[in-house]
Amino acid sequence: MMESPKQIVKQTDYQGEVKADWCPGCGNFAQLTAVKMALADLGIEPHNVVVVSGIGCSSNFPEFIRAYGFHGLHGRSLPVASAIKWVNPKLTVLAYGGDGDGFFEGTQHFYHTAKRNVDITYMVSDNQIFGLTTGQASPTSELGMVTKTTPEGNIEPPVNPLLLALSAGATFVARAFSGDPKHIADITKKAIEHRGFSFIDVFSPCVTFNKLNTYDYFRKRVYKYEPEDPEDFAVAYKRASEWGDRIPIGIFYQKSEPTYADRDPVLSKVNLRESPYYKLKEQDLEEFL
Amino acid sequence: MNDREVVIRVSGAAGDGVQSAGQIIAKSFSRKGMNVVTYNYYQDIVRGGTSWYQIRASSDPVRSQGDGLDIVIALNKDGVQRHTNPDIDEGGASPLSKEGIVIFDKSIQGYEEHGQRYVPMPLSDIAMKYSNNALMRNTVAIGAAMASINLDFETLAGVIGDQFGSKGKIADLNVNAAKEGYDYFKKNQEPLKKNLSFGTKPKYLVGGGDAIGLGFVSGGMKFYAGYPMTPASSALMYFANHASKFDIVLKIPEDEISAINMAIGANYAGVRSATGSSGGGFSLMVEAVGLAGMLEVPLVIYEAQRPGPSTGLPTKTEQGDLNLVLGAGQGDFPRIVLAPRNVKECFELGREAMNLAARYQTPVFVMVDLYLSEHYETVDSFDLDFKIDEGKIAGDNQENFRRYEDTEDGISPRAFPGQPGLMHNEDSDEHNEFGQVVSDAVTDPRERVKAMNKRMRKMETYRKNMPPTYTYKFSDAEYAVVQWGSTAGVVEEAVDILRNKGIRVGAIEVTHVFPLNHDIGDLVRGKKKIIVVENNYGGQFDRLLRSELLVRTEPVRKYDGESFYPGQLAEEIEVVIRGGK
Ligand SMILES: Cc1ncc(C[n+]2csc(CCOP(=O)(O)OP(=O)(O)O)c2C)c(N)n1
Ligand code: SF4
Ligand SMILES: [Mg+2]
Repeated sequence: MMESPKQIVKQTDYQGEVKADWCPGCGNFAQLTAVKMALADLGIEPHNVVVVSGIGCSSNFPEFIRAYGFHGLHGRSLPVASAIKWVNPKLTVLAYGGDGDGFFEGTQHFYHTAKRNVDITYMVSDNQIFGLTTGQASPTSELGMVTKTTPEGNIEPPVNPLLLALSAGATFVARAFSGDPKHIADITKKAIEHRGFSFIDVFSPCVTFNKLNTYDYFRKRVYKYEPEDPEDFAVAYKRASEWGDRIPIGIFYQKSEPTYADRDPVLSKVNLRESPYYKLKEQDLEEFL
Repeated sequence: MNDREVVIRVSGAAGDGVQSAGQIIAKSFSRKGMNVVTYNYYQDIVRGGTSWYQIRASSDPVRSQGDGLDIVIALNKDGVQRHTNPDIDEGGASPLSKEGIVIFDKSIQGYEEHGQRYVPMPLSDIAMKYSNNALMRNTVAIGAAMASINLDFETLAGVIGDQFGSKGKIADLNVNAAKEGYDYFKKNQEPLKKNLSFGTKPKYLVGGGDAIGLGFVSGGMKFYAGYPMTPASSALMYFANHASKFDIVLKIPEDEISAINMAIGANYAGVRSATGSSGGGFSLMVEAVGLAGMLEVPLVIYEAQRPGPSTGLPTKTEQGDLNLVLGAGQGDFPRIVLAPRNVKECFELGREAMNLAARYQTPVFVMVDLYLSEHYETVDSFDLDFKIDEGKIAGDNQENFRRYEDTEDGISPRAFPGQPGLMHNEDSDEHNEFGQVVSDAVTDPRERVKAMNKRMRKMETYRKNMPPTYTYKFSDAEYAVVQWGSTAGVVEEAVDILRNKGIRVGAIEVTHVFPLNHDIGDLVRGKKKIIVVENNYGGQFDRLLRSELLVRTEPVRKYDGESFYPGQLAEEIEVVIRGGK
């Protein structure tokens, strides 16, 4: 395949007109910066980028970046993002949303999009809380955590999104932390370059509603991890299970597998956005004679 | 008995091959240039139960599965009794006529007789000569049935040959088995008294789902996402079987919510796409209908109704989802609802829906029911020429591009990812002309009103461009029968029956269900009665009609899971005309 020469793209090319209105200190700012950095570094032009989101504080992301944006329904970013990538593979498609969006309302889409190995990048702003709806327990809230909806402490154990992604068959599984935007950007670049479904779970403190999982909480615990063999599923699974005083961040798993489009008899050879309309012919009616 | 037409019913248990036998018969007639309508009566069961397949073939145009029954092929004892006994109610289907014949295996015994001609035959014995099981008895019986109306054997042999085409030897065996059945009948029985005439060239025999598929493809659809659900699956199967041929993509995702969001994503990216389901699956899609309305993304939704509530009667017919479709989605946004009247119109309105969606950038529904999506009709020809209307699309590189520009007709220019210089956000939150959210920080009431008015204005533009409403024998009608969608054929035949009795009745046939064309108000003015025929309990269309036109109407409804039949419907209309039940 011929690579087209990389354009010079500046981070400011991605500067949206609307100023991000997250609470000062919100983790989402780091992801916004990191994504712009990664896209600019990769030389991808804004008009070839689509950012698809669901609903939540985090999901307001597409409004704040100069690219094509699709701010859809709570939990439904992945089907939209998948279809966009399928019908026009020239685009870089990034899905972005919250932990409630991805691991509650949209769990089935997360699982199946990973399993299909759709060639998109999915970044979750995991603040272990519902931010936009002002602080209810989320699927990643810790056991015992007191929130508006769990005044006596959360009684549901949290989901581990990395294990979910791995068991579903995601071919790129990573974790990052809003305290280190440069690290998020590095991972994002690799995620975008990865052919297949790339998942990045980002610890993104909600400074307003989550008083437990704060920047300090994570700074004390996270450490950078790099596997010797990123294709070793068993090791990835084991390290992704690590939780407690020490929590690894980094790329846990990466493997090259055929994407959904590679396996589809039509998508593997046709760019639907550019293909001509099929014109029905008399022969197409012969089966009815 | 009408000697210009023949009605045949194949009856058996699920798994007996009732449907494929019925299709062989139907195709034999369509190849002879006759007019054919089929009706598929089956249950939600894979093996066992009672199912039957009816074929009405006529030398004259036909518009429904019709009344009357000339030939029954009964593959079990239940079939022999069920279709000959006038006291068994099958939702209005006629029992075997007095002069009719019932063909069955001679091993079936102990049935009650009702005066018709009973023709026990060695179906299984003959079948066993050609195969090591008795399944081929269907083919033997088809041979006999065709002999009873003097159809030439060559036509039937050709159809059987094609049906088993890829399995050369099996085709020959089946043809031979059919021939024995054919000869047996000729030798031992008198033919039916028929006066059939045939066309000069074969007609297309097309299912409703196939026609939807053809229509969508002809309208430029390249991507279809759907989750299987009867009776929307016949269209889905058409896509499955033609994807590679047409370079289109069929995606069966994890659920209907995903399906509709995928279809929206593909449309957003500039590829014509559609989704579809029946009521249950469509219920899951409801939130996303509003998303398409809000983002102004074109979206064609194929909604194939079956009786509810809930799982209801999965293999039966009803027009019970109109309220659901009209009410799908919170808030007000433009939507268009089309309801084809027959198979050919599934094709025509299917592709028209694709253009309407692109032009008005909003959800467009194509509503059918099980009756229409799963039955077959002959079609003389399809007009394959079609002009694809892309709607308004922006040229590249515009300063301050306004995706939701507040235009006079309400329609704003679209822009697709990949187009340079048109980056913008499409947002499910209320937004201004640029696509910027107006619901954060401070909600701007003026922008909200402007955005609502802009979107809803598209409906006014559409109303101005709607085609006039169809009528049937209406100019001198004293009574107006109003119907929507698939009941048109049956209603027309009922009108003919009533007119033969001297009752001046005519029909209004509504294909463009929402928004309702107000020309209907002019049509019904001065009529003695306005009778609304509907295949549901609550009169969902009737309510729409009354609320839009402020007229008094009289209902004729059916909700037993079966279609209307012309004779039965004519009687019910007459009761209403004569002053009610
Ligand atoms: C179908 C639906 N259900 C509920 C909501 C209300 N709602 C909006 S955002 C949200 C949860 C947000 O949490 P999360 O996805 O973690 O995003 P965050 O705000 O934390 O970034 C909910 C429940 C909605 N918009 N749509
Ligand atoms: S509520 Fe929490 S997640 Fe939402 S913007 Fe504020 S800090 Fe961020
Ligand atoms: Mg959250």
